[in-house]
Parts: sequence; structure tokens; C-alpha cells
Amino acid sequence: MTLVHVFTVVFSMSLRRSLAFRMNLLFEGLATFLGAGAGLAALGIVYTQADTLGGWSLGEAIVLLGTYQIVSGLLWTFIEPNLRWFRGQVVDGALDDILLRPVPSIFLASLGTCAPLGLLHVVGGVVVLTIGIGRLDAAPTLGSAMAWLLMLGVALAVAWASRVLLASLAFWAPSLEPGVLYSAVWEFGRYPVSMYRPPLRFALTWMIPVSLIGTLPAQALARGAEPVHLVAGPVGAAAAILLVNVVWRAGLRRYTSATS
Amino acid sequence: MGNGRNGRLLSLYIQRSFLEWMGFRSFLFTLVVNQAVAPVLGLAVWSAALPEQRGVSAYFIALLAVQLMTVSYEYHTVSMAIYEGNLNDSLLRPHPMVIAPLGENLATRAWHLLIGFPIVAIAMTAAGVGFDGWDIVVALPALAFAALLRFLFTYALALSALWGQQSGGVTELGSILVFLLGGLAAPIPLMPESIRPIGEALPFRAMLGFPAEIATGSLNRQEIVQGYGWQALWMAVFAAVATVVWTAGVRRYTALGG
Repeated sequence: MTLVHVFTVVFSMSLRRSLAFRMNLLFEGLATFLGAGAGLAALGIVYTQADTLGGWSLGEAIVLLGTYQIVSGLLWTFIEPNLRWFRGQVVDGALDDILLRPVPSIFLASLGTCAPLGLLHVVGGVVVLTIGIGRLDAAPTLGSAMAWLLMLGVALAVAWASRVLLASLAFWAPSLEPGVLYSAVWEFGRYPVSMYRPPLRFALTWMIPVSLIGTLPAQALARGAEPVHLVAGPVGAAAAILLVNVVWRAGLRRYTSATS
Repeated sequence: MGNGRNGRLLSLYIQRSFLEWMGFRSFLFTLVVNQAVAPVLGLAVWSAALPEQRGVSAYFIALLAVQLMTVSYEYHTVSMAIYEGNLNDSLLRPHPMVIAPLGENLATRAWHLLIGFPIVAIAMTAAGVGFDGWDIVVALPALAFAALLRFLFTYALALSALWGQQSGGVTELGSILVFLLGGLAAPIPLMPESIRPIGEALPFRAMLGFPAEIATGSLNRQEIVQGYGWQALWMAVFAAVATVVWTAGVRRYTALGG
């Protein structure tokens, strides 16, 4: 059984579970599109008062917002539902169940279930991105589009790695609940990093790579990619994946089951 | 007699919930940080967009305080109790069901205020912002009404779980409306003129932005009186809505276990 097959089965089961609550599904859909519209409207109101935000035009900022919503949608769909309560699994020993299955534990723990309704956020993000592209001064080239896709992949890899890394803290400090803080910091990715004051900008670029989520992919699409980003991005993502695997294994060595 | 008894029960629920939360202080801290993000982001965005306007910074710092004091988690308390069947326990108690979630709500807000106060103080110092004492006094009743209104709104939305079992979508929809039209996405006075009167009349500003606008001294006497009028109207509307939703919804409620 390949990981892809497992992934497909997991998605199918999760989708059927979501469809059981049809009224909730309807409102989730409405909320998703209203949320995408609200982000766009908020940005539009800001630009009625200012020409640029951190040096970004309205079109560029909308491209950034759309990219952010796509990455966020994928995070909320595939990663967050698994790791939101990971600490509890470590504390009460429920992680045993994952460790006993014949699939890599890091895969099952971080991608073992999903919230398919989150994909509506991705659809909303694509719509916002399309609107943003339409408002750019010049249409993106094929090269820019390819660079955006590459940086989007980097953003997803780093998002997964950073979320798993944070969840792994539970092996060493089980009293911490870092998931909510992660969501809070993640919100800073919806605006250009250049907008923030220097200390925060430095932290969001080098300490918590929030700039990778939206700013760098959007910059690649709207202004053309910088070669250094195209090289450093994938290298950084590969290093993050390697690091998280090492940390995960070290964490598992500390794990002692709490159940019988 | 009944009101006095309910008042004492409410006070006991507040005390109990406050003490229960004491065991989850680190989690409370993360909740407070999460609630602070939107106003802090608003502060960052609007300070970058309008660097000369100090009033905008003061507004978002006041909004941060209002957000912490009006926070409502009825999706997690009321709605999940309905979904999991734990409402059975509440239905058997000899007092109106709303007292328990209201007590939890007030205790949670007290903790948010305690933990969030240093964040507000740091933001005020960092932005070099101060407030006039009289403006704060005038804003306090508006803050209390905003807190009540936001509870009634979230409570009514959470009760929709009596129909669809889950109310995550409905409450999320409500949160988005509060974000967009409550003064978080943009201060209502800075909205385009075509939609500003709508923003002023809708209940969302009365839940969040209105007390912050008073605290920053940006409203004249007539605007303050008008704002209080809107708050009174919407409190009456949502109290009626919550009552009707509960009365109709509880007849549909069925649960196994709990």
C-alpha cells in the first residue's frame, strides 16, 4: 500500500464525514467565500487611504493575499487537523495507535486525516489571486508563474516542517500548547513583510519564516523571481524536511506510552 | 426572588469557571495571544498606511482591550455541549440554561483581561499612546453593552447546533462579519462614505468598534448618543432572537448519553 493510496483513502473518508453535516457544510462554504471577500475588502479599504503598503501596490498585495489564502487553505485541510491536538496524543498515549501502523509515523501523525472543506479556502485563494493578477501593471511571464509555483512548493514544505517541528515540542515539553500561537503568527503572512517595523520584520523573515508563505511567492509572480530565492528556497525547504525528520525520531525515542 | 437566586447562581458559575481556568493558565495565554492578533495586525497595517495619524494607533490599542473584554467562545461551550449530548446535564438543572454559559463567558473574559492587560500596556508604551480619563468613563457603559451584545450574538449562533448538530460554519460566518464590519478590518470612520452609514447601523460595530471609538475621543456627543441607541436596539433584538432560537431549538433536541 503506497502512501499515495493511504492519502486518497484518508481524503475520501474525511470528505464523507464532512458531508454528514450538510447545514454546517453550507455555512462553512458561505463563511469561506465571505472570508476571502473580507480579506479583499479589508485590503481595498486600506488602499483607499494609501497608495502603497510597505512598497506594494494594491494588485501586488492582492496577489500576496491570494497566495497566502491558498497556502493557508492547504495547511488547514491537510496538516492542521492532525497536529492541532497532537500534544494530547503524546500525553495520554494515543500516539501508540499511530506507531503500531505499517506506515511512517511522521506521515500518519501529520497527514493521517484531513478537513476537505478547507479546500474551499484554496478555491477562494485562487479567485483572489486571479483578481490580483488582473490588477498588476504587467501580466506575469511564464517564468514568473513557474517561479511562483516553485516558491509555493517551498512555502508548503516549510509550513509542514515548521508545524511538525512545533508539534514535536510535545515530546520534550508536554504542558505547552503551541498550536494556537502558530495560528496567531501565521496571520502575519497575509501582508507584505516589508510593511512591519524592523524588529518584527527581521523576526518574520529570519526567525519564523512567515515571509515564505506569501511575500516571496507573490514577489516572484508580481515582480519576477530573484535567483537567490529560487536556489535558497528549495535548499532551505529540503533542510527543514531533513531537520524535522531528525527531531521527530529524537522525540519518538523520548516517548513513553501512557496506556496499557 | 427568582432574579436574586439566578444572580447568586451566576456568581457561583463565574467563580467555579474562573477557578477551573486557573489550571490551564498556559492555554489561556495562547488564547489571549490569538485574540490579540487581529487588533495588533490592524495596528501594524493602519500605522503603515497612515503613519501621521496617531489616532489610528490609539483606536487599535483600545480595540485590543475591547476585543479581550468581549471575547465569546460559545461555539466551544454551548455548541459542543449540544453536539456531544452534554446539554442533558444542563437541562436537568433547576435554573435557566443560559446562566452556566454566561458564567463561563464572564470568567473567561476576566482571565483574558488579567493576562491581556500587560499586552495592552506594552502596545500603549510602544506606540506612545495615551487616553483621556473622561473618554474612558464615557466608553465603559458602551463596553459593557458590547460585551452583552457579543455574548447574545454568539450564543444565538451557537444554538443553531440544535438544528444541524454542528455550528462551526455559522459561528465562523458570524466572526467574519464582526471582523469586517465591527471595526477590526478597518475603523468604521475610515470606511468609504458609501458604506459608512451601513457600518454604523449594523450590530457589529456596536459589539466592538463603538467603545474603542469613544475611548479615543473621536466621536461627538450626538454620535455617542446615536451609537448607544444602536446598541440598545441590537441588544433587544438579539435577546429576543436568542430566546426564540432556544425555545424552538430545545424542542428538537435529542441526545444519547452525554
